[in-house]
Amino acid sequence: MEKTLELYSDADMAELKKKLKTLKLVLLAIAAAGLAVCIALAALTNTANAARMELSAVAVSTVTGWVVIYFVLYGVTARRRELGHAEMLRRDERQRVAGRVTVTGEKLRIVRSIPVRRVTVETEEGAKSLLVIESRAEALSRAGAGAVWTANGYVAAYEAAK
Amino acid sequence: MRVLKNILRQLHTFVLWALASALLWSWIFTFVTDTSPDRKVTVYCYVDEIRDTELACALERTMPEGLKMIKVHSFRYVMFNIDSIENGDIFVVPASVIGEYDELFTDVNGQYGVKIYDAASHTGAAAEYLGYGDEDYYLFLGANSPHLEDGKALAVAMDILKN
Repeated sequence: MEKTLELYSDADMAELKKKLKTLKLVLLAIAAAGLAVCIALAALTNTANAARMELSAVAVSTVTGWVVIYFVLYGVTARRRELGHAEMLRRDERQRVAGRVTVTGEKLRIVRSIPVRRVTVETEEGAKSLLVIESRAEALSRAGAGAVWTANGYVAAYEAAK
Repeated sequence: MRVLKNILRQLHTFVLWALASALLWSWIFTFVTDTSPDRKVTVYCYVDEIRDTELACALERTMPEGLKMIKVHSFRYVMFNIDSIENGDIFVVPASVIGEYDELFTDVNGQYGVKIYDAASHTGAAAEYLGYGDEDYYLFLGANSPHLEDGKALAVAMDILKN
């Protein structure tokens, strides 16, 4: 007998949201700390150390900004896109596609979207090409699923032997 | 490797941030390192070499009460904008340019220009801070200085002459 396993369970969704929130808070704390240091440098400035303090403030601001920018672009944005994708998989109408499921090695990066892998399902009508989010590709590959549920061409759930 | 690739992919963003950060804090520090004219005395020196920060620090050690800072600048600081030196409090200039800027000057204790450096003997005040040339230099108070009446410009001028 097979059971249907969601790519994103309730627990997974809660975890995603929690990680996203934590990352945002950490980045906010880093930005605030950087700003506090720069303000402190400005407050401690006098005639003798003005040039040095200004250089230090620029350095702290620049490096802090780089760290925040990097993790916003490649941390927050990536997690937000994954969360949006997961919500779409859980919300939108699904179709069942039965057949031998193979996760290929073909990786795709959709511009301004999630990284995905191509999945082929050998159905009675022929091979059907689908996509699965990269972070769930290995789990799907290991499951040896006999059928998948898809939403908008993406694998949303799969049926694995119990 | 992936981190490096990610950085290179958004290199323009990181470069733009560095530029913006430098501009922003330079602008902020122009306010941090300045104050209103009534709380500072500004000294302009017509010399090729100047240790402006060191001279300002030395003068701040004995500056009159009520002042927050002493600013020392080379004339090159305001090369393109004569208006910004009009309100200078103290001027140190070589004899050859006195005529060119004389509308900016006024007496020091009733004397028009105090000799601060003697070219013949190579001796003068504040010589460790000011790179004097091959002529005599004179110190003047600024004709438009806001510190003429309260005596603070004169007090700082006396400190320069003692250095």
